[in-house]
Amino acid sequence: MSDIELRSVSRWYGNVVAVNDITMTVGEGVTGLLGPNGAGKSTVLHLIAGFLAPSRGEVTVGGRPTWRNPGIYRTVGLVPERDSVYAFLTGAEFVLATAKLHELADPAGAASRAIAIVDMAEAQDRRISTYSKGMRQRIKVAAALVHDPQVLLLDEPFNGMDPRQRLHMMDLLTRLGAEGRTILLSSHILEEVEQLADTIQVIVSGRLAASGDFRAIRRLMTSRPHVFLVRSSDDRLLGSALIGRPAVTGVELTTGGLQVRASDFGAFSRELAGLARDRSIRLRELLPEDESLESVFAYLVES
Amino acid sequence: MSVDQGSRGGSSGLASTEAGVIHDIGYRRYTGRRLGRAQIIRALFWHSLRSAYGLGRGAKAKIVPVFTFVIMCLPAIVNAVVIARGQPRLVPYDTYANQLRVVVMIIFIAAQAPELVSRDLRSHVLPLYFCRPLRRMDYPVAKLAAFITACLALIEIPLLLLYVGTVAQVHSGSAVWAQTRALIPGLLVGLMWAVLLAAIGLALASMSGRRAYATGSIAIYFFLTWILSGILIAVTQRNVMRTVLIKPPPGAPAPPGAPAGPGGTFQAHVITQVPTTATHLVGLVSPFTTLDGVRQWLGGTSTGPVPGVGSYGALYGAMLLVLIAASLGGLASRYRKASTL
Amino acid sequence: MSAPLTARAGEPFAEPDRGTPVIETRALTKRYPGPVTALDALTVRVEPGITGLVGANGAGKSTLIKILLGLLEPTGGQAAVLGGDCQRDGERIRALTGYMPEHDCLPPDVTATEFVTHLGRMSGLPPTAAKERAAESLRHVGLYEERYRQIGTYSTGMKQRVKLAQALVGDPRLLLLDEPTVGLDPAGRGSMLELIARIGAEFGISIVVASHLLGEIERICDHLVAIEAGRLLRADTITSMTQASQVLLIEVDEGTDRLLAELARRGLEPRAYERAVLVRLDGDETYDAVRDAVADLGLPLNRLEQRRRRVEELFRDTQGSQDDPMPGSQTPEASHVG
Repeated sequence: MSDIELRSVSRWYGNVVAVNDITMTVGEGVTGLLGPNGAGKSTVLHLIAGFLAPSRGEVTVGGRPTWRNPGIYRTVGLVPERDSVYAFLTGAEFVLATAKLHELADPAGAASRAIAIVDMAEAQDRRISTYSKGMRQRIKVAAALVHDPQVLLLDEPFNGMDPRQRLHMMDLLTRLGAEGRTILLSSHILEEVEQLADTIQVIVSGRLAASGDFRAIRRLMTSRPHVFLVRSSDDRLLGSALIGRPAVTGVELTTGGLQVRASDFGAFSRELAGLARDRSIRLRELLPEDESLESVFAYLVES
Repeated sequence: MSVDQGSRGGSSGLASTEAGVIHDIGYRRYTGRRLGRAQIIRALFWHSLRSAYGLGRGAKAKIVPVFTFVIMCLPAIVNAVVIARGQPRLVPYDTYANQLRVVVMIIFIAAQAPELVSRDLRSHVLPLYFCRPLRRMDYPVAKLAAFITACLALIEIPLLLLYVGTVAQVHSGSAVWAQTRALIPGLLVGLMWAVLLAAIGLALASMSGRRAYATGSIAIYFFLTWILSGILIAVTQRNVMRTVLIKPPPGAPAPPGAPAGPGGTFQAHVITQVPTTATHLVGLVSPFTTLDGVRQWLGGTSTGPVPGVGSYGALYGAMLLVLIAASLGGLASRYRKASTL
Repeated sequence: MSAPLTARAGEPFAEPDRGTPVIETRALTKRYPGPVTALDALTVRVEPGITGLVGANGAGKSTLIKILLGLLEPTGGQAAVLGGDCQRDGERIRALTGYMPEHDCLPPDVTATEFVTHLGRMSGLPPTAAKERAAESLRHVGLYEERYRQIGTYSTGMKQRVKLAQALVGDPRLLLLDEPTVGLDPAGRGSMLELIARIGAEFGISIVVASHLLGEIERICDHLVAIEAGRLLRADTITSMTQASQVLLIEVDEGTDRLLAELARRGLEPRAYERAVLVRLDGDETYDAVRDAVADLGLPLNRLEQRRRRVEELFRDTQGSQDDPMPGSQTPEASHVG
């Protein structure tokens, strides 16, 4: 197994506690690591990549500690945020050098496979200094994949990529995740994390604020009524019917439709269709307004 | 009652009753004067001139400008004291206190040229200038004009102080006129100094965004060439032995072993340093000695670091122009390449 | 398009009325030694409003911006901004345009007030106006007491706001924003996007936002210009690119299989799609049938919406991609010049 595990991990620098008692497990598939700037996401990634030692607790990959253990680099590939490539090398040379550093049996073959996966075969013989930002990102991913790692850590991997490159990279990561690899992806672009990741880990001020499927997380926020937007053939009538139900705490008529706040999300969603039918109201649209990853994240950061 | 602010694009949607008012503080268009390129360049000029003297930038930035300015004025002050005591003027206008001036200018330029150009390069702010109604070359032109002005102030104000200090003690119109006639060439020499040194300093500073490198390269270039020229001037001179006749004062004994000459004089051998052709030319190595060479070529009589230019005066003039042109060229190419939007 | 691109030399040009495009290019080409072709006969009109500029790689985007600002001569073709020719009227265009670069461009040892005021002077504002407009711009972008601190102490979000404030200080008619949300966390992105939308809607300034993030373009832009390999890929309104299709999506929290069966029983030909169900929308009766099916089964209804096209589809290699399986075929839309 190549699970990433953090057990009661803290990391501090003098008085600054960057990571505060985090226990989390990252299994196979794509997991999103989210958090505001300065929350400790990069620290967590560096701990997992073995660049930092935890001040307390244990960080393991596949059961083996990451600190002072160069062996884990056989299983772990890292795509860091900053430019960490030698600009004077060609793309091919850089990936080949990485392959050799990993002491692979067939570095040239591995390198060309990795370059093909990220679709950089055409530009591989040009110097990295001539690459656009998106191309540099892709070559970094190739270097991280060259040794076929089970675990992949990516810090803002889509930075600088144009839409086509992004879609391509997202397809790639989905595929790699489906193959059973453990992929941990740190990103601020929530709409992409929403599409890619099955689970998320949210870090706020050094603490782990939430884990899991973000929809499930939203359901757990019972103190916050769910907000929906309904468009129907008679919003006012529907609104008056809904406000009569205990599951609904508020309705508001807006230009976009009927906004409904439901304290009991489950009851509301079961009752809506029936209520509409009983009054011969046609339902045209029902949209949850705060169930997106963006809303869930905002709520987690707020509280 | 409903109050509608309705401010779209800055229209005046002011709402009021006797009881209360809501003011429109939305976005306002600018309908005033827009200044042209010339005035923008002028604004950049003044802004840069102020940076050269550390104005508007906190106390630390003023240390070098103030310090150098005070030091530069000292000879003028000393001279005023000397004159007040009735002694002849100590400090000439055209060379001033040459050694001091060299050192002070090196310090000022090495410290302040980076303030004007290296900072902007380091913070990559140039695109924000070039996306404005300014042309690419306006930026270095404004910066150079400002720095020349800054150096000019540092050189000429002490000269003027020298003049005022001298003239204040003098009582006849013709003496004042004599002082004025001596001052003018001094000011012209000062102008040459300002133009050449500012151009070189700014060109060197514009090669690097890092202050340390900029300051270092300027200081090293000026100091090294200055020292080198001094050494070369000394070693290229020839020792020449000459026979002179000396007459000891009455009552003094005769110098031992000296052959007698006519009329109570005695022969003596004197070794003097005489400039050779090489000596006349090595001054081209340093901007400071180049300036001195040009001064002498144009008729300056005070003694300076260069012991005569012989027939090579024009070369010094040419060198001056070459150095200025190279600096301008360096600046121009730097700012043509710079700035990737 | 036989009408001249721009006003004649010497004629005043300024406020774009509803009809004038804020940016217009015709067969604009730029080749560098290499041979690198950054722009290849690009012909596009950008209307007033908020326009997203997408897809251009680094060389194409920065080349286009330099040409539009009159800082670079094209190899061929013409370009006009706010009715003025980019080559001939460059200075005037730069006086009326605000530019927010993508990269770091702020000095750390100056306060925001001093910095924006100085750049206001560089835009041609007289001293007092520069001070006043700097203060106003900083207020509009949401920088209050912080403006008296040195920029080196600012967070990324605050620095982006300073960059935006300096673009606004000269009262531009057009704002060019290059990746304004890069480096911002989700909260920061949200406020920056809100700010940009507000500027576009309330300040009467046309905006071009260069971005790789289609989500944010869909969110705040009215139009889209997509450039690929130096050529125009598509120019269109966001509305027409996110048109509703004749497919209805239904999502229930549980019992999806039972819903599929019930809808099939009612003759709607449903298809499973991720966690939801798709049916063809054949008039209003479909809505009622769906409602009744859900009500009969007592299922928790989570989402009901007409599927829309997404801007992202433009960049999918295959037409009718795996992202969007619609019952019935969908003909590929031809690229057209908007």
